[in-house]
Amino acid sequence: MFKDYEKVFMRISILFSFVALALGGLFGFIQLVSRTPGFPRLVDASGYYTALTGHGVLMAIIWTAFFIMGIAVFVMVSELRVNFRKTLLGLTLVLTLGGTVTAAIPILAGRASVLYTFYPPLIGHPLFYIGLAVVIVGTWVFSAAVIDVFLRWRRANRGVGIPVGAFGVITTIIIWLEATPGLSIEVLMDLIPASLFGKPVDVLLDRTLFWYFGHPLVYFWLIPAIVAFYAIMPKLLGVELYSVKAAKLAYILFILASTPVGLHHQFVDSGLSFEAKLLHTTLTYSVALGSFVTAFNVLATLERAGRARGGGAFSWILKLPWRNPVFAGLALAFILFGFGGIGGIVNASLTMNYVVHNTLWVVGHFHLTVGSIVTLVFMSITYLIFPVVFDRNIFSGSLAKIQPYMWFVGMFIFALAYHIAGIYGAPRRVDDSSYMGLSPEIWSPLLQIGAVGGLIFWLSGVIFILNVFASLKFGAPATVNGASLSNGSGSEPEDEPTIFDRLSIWIIVALILIVIGYTVPMMEIFSRGLSPVEIVYIGG
Amino acid sequence: MDRWEALWIVIVAATLGIFIGTLVAIAGVGYIPPSEVEAEYRPTDAVEEFKPGVRSLGDGVYEVNILAYRFSFQPNKIVLENPKEVRFRIYSNDVLHGFNIIGTNVNIMVIPGYVSEIVWRPPPDFEGSYLVICNEYCGIGHSGMFAELVIKR
Repeated sequence: MFKDYEKVFMRISILFSFVALALGGLFGFIQLVSRTPGFPRLVDASGYYTALTGHGVLMAIIWTAFFIMGIAVFVMVSELRVNFRKTLLGLTLVLTLGGTVTAAIPILAGRASVLYTFYPPLIGHPLFYIGLAVVIVGTWVFSAAVIDVFLRWRRANRGVGIPVGAFGVITTIIIWLEATPGLSIEVLMDLIPASLFGKPVDVLLDRTLFWYFGHPLVYFWLIPAIVAFYAIMPKLLGVELYSVKAAKLAYILFILASTPVGLHHQFVDSGLSFEAKLLHTTLTYSVALGSFVTAFNVLATLERAGRARGGGAFSWILKLPWRNPVFAGLALAFILFGFGGIGGIVNASLTMNYVVHNTLWVVGHFHLTVGSIVTLVFMSITYLIFPVVFDRNIFSGSLAKIQPYMWFVGMFIFALAYHIAGIYGAPRRVDDSSYMGLSPEIWSPLLQIGAVGGLIFWLSGVIFILNVFASLKFGAPATVNGASLSNGSGSEPEDEPTIFDRLSIWIIVALILIVIGYTVPMMEIFSRGLSPVEIVYIGG
Repeated sequence: MDRWEALWIVIVAATLGIFIGTLVAIAGVGYIPPSEVEAEYRPTDAVEEFKPGVRSLGDGVYEVNILAYRFSFQPNKIVLENPKEVRFRIYSNDVLHGFNIIGTNVNIMVIPGYVSEIVWRPPPDFEGSYLVICNEYCGIGHSGMFAELVIKR
C-alpha cells in the first residue's frame, strides 16, 4: 500500500517530531523548575526566556506540524489508496527541515528570545524569521501534495462520499491554507525587513495579522486529533462511528469559522472596537458548536462499543478496553478535551476574558488542548502506527500502558492548579513572579502544586520518548501489517456523499466569513492611520 | 444523524446563543473590554507631551497617566484618596507591555504607538495597596516591572 518513499517520509517526519518533543520537553522542564517558588533556579532570566521560546516554538509548531505531516500521509494513502508524488514529498522535507534548523540556531544561541508569538517591536535575529518563512513555504508544498492526492482520488470516485479520515486531513489542509497568509504577510512585510533593516512597524496591525494565523493554528493541531476519534477509535473498538454525517458537519464548522476568530486573543487590545470583538466572540462560539457535536458523536460511539461488550446503562464505561494504551490515551485525552473546551468558552467571552488574559489560566488551558487532546492523542496514534511505519513493535508494552495514565494525572493536577492561579491573577511568561514579596501569598502553593503535576506528565513524556527510541533499536519485528489498519474506518468509500462533501461551496462561504470578520478590524486600524514604532533588538 | 443528535445540536446552539445574548446585555451596563484609543503620540515626544502622573478631577474622579517602559512604570507608586472612578491612560515608548492590577478587572495591553485607556471603579470598601504588574513579556527584566497602587480612605 505505501510506497518506499512514503515510508521514508513518514519515518523522517515522525522521528523529527519526536526529537522536537524531547527537546521541547527539556525546555519545559527547565522552565517549570526555574519559575516555581522553592524549586531550584536552573537558569537565569535570559536562559528562562530562551527556554520559553524553544518550548513554545518546538511544541506548538515543530512537534505538531511534523507529526501531522507524517500521519496525514498515513491516513490519505491507507484510506484513499492513492499515492503521493515523490518530488512534492521530497521538496516538503528539504524546506521544512532546512527552515527548522535555520530558525533553531538563533533560538538556541539566545538571539531570538521573542517567544513563540514573536510580537514586535521586540525583534530577534533575522535567521529566525527567514527559517520560519521557509518552513511555511514547505508546508504549502505539502498542502499541494495532499490536494493532488485528493483530487486524483476524487476524479476516479465521482459520486462517492469522502472517507471520514481523509475528510479530516483535507479539513486540516484547508484551515492551514486559510490561516497562513496572515503570518506570511506579517513575516515578509514587517518582521524580516525589521530584523534586517530596522523597519518601523505598527504593533497593533502585526498582532492582528499574527492572531489571524494563531487561532486557526489551534484547529490545525486539533483536527488530526479529531481524525483519530472519528477514523481510528471506532475501528479499534470494532464498531461503526455513531454518525458520519455529524462528523462531517463538525469538520465543516471548523472550516467555516476557525479563522475569523483571532480577535479573541486581542480582547484587551485598545484600538479594536467592541463590535469587532463581539463578532469574533460569536464566530468562536460557532466553532465551539463543532466541538460539542464531536463530543456527542465520540461519546455515543464509545457507548455503542461498551454496550456491544455487554455493558448496561452506565457499566458500558467499564467494559471499554482501558488496558489498551491506544484506547486509554484517546479516551483520557477526550476527557481532558472536555475541560479544555469549557475553559475555552470562558476565554472566548469578551467580558470574562479580561479576568484571565495573560494569566496562568491560559497556560492551564492550552496544556489541556495542545498539551493533551493533541499530544496525548498523537502518542496514542504512535503506539498504533509504529509497527506499520517502522516495522518494529513497541519496545515495552507495560510502559506504554502506564504512560497515558501518568500524563492524564499529571496534566489534570497541573492544569487545575494553573487555572486557579490564573483566577488569582498569577501571570504567565515570567521567570519569577515574586515581585519583591508583593505578590499574593496564594500564588506560591498553587505554582508548587502545578509543578508537581508538571513533573508527573514530564516524566510520562520521558517514558514515551525513551520507549519509542528503544523500539527503533530493540523492538521485535512488527506483527501488524498495514492492511489491517486501513479498512473499517467507520466511513467506507461507498458512502453516499452528503451536502458536506461539496467542499468548494463551504470554502467559498469560509472565505466570505473571513472577509467579513477581518474587514471590520482592518478598516478600523487603517482608517485611523498606522502608528509605526522603532524596533527593539532582543538583548540590544 | 438521529433525533437525539439533532436535539443535542439545538440545545448546544441555544446555550451558546444565550451566552452571546448575555454578553450583549451586560455590555449595555458597561461590562465591555477596553477598546478605546486616542490619537497617538510619537514616541520621541511622549515623555514631554504625555505628562505621567495623577490628576484629580474632583469628587473621587481621577485621571492617571502612566508611562510604561522597559522595565518600569512611571509613576511606580500611585496614591489615590477615596477614588470612585479612575481613568488610566497608559503609553509605552518602547515595546509591548501589559498593565494588570492584580485582583481587579483592570487588565489591558499597552501597545506602543497607541494610548491604552481603561476606566476602573474601585471597590468602595477597599483600603490598602494593590500590586500592578506588566503581564506581557517585554525583555530580560520583565519580572522586575511592577508598581504599587495605594488606596487611602
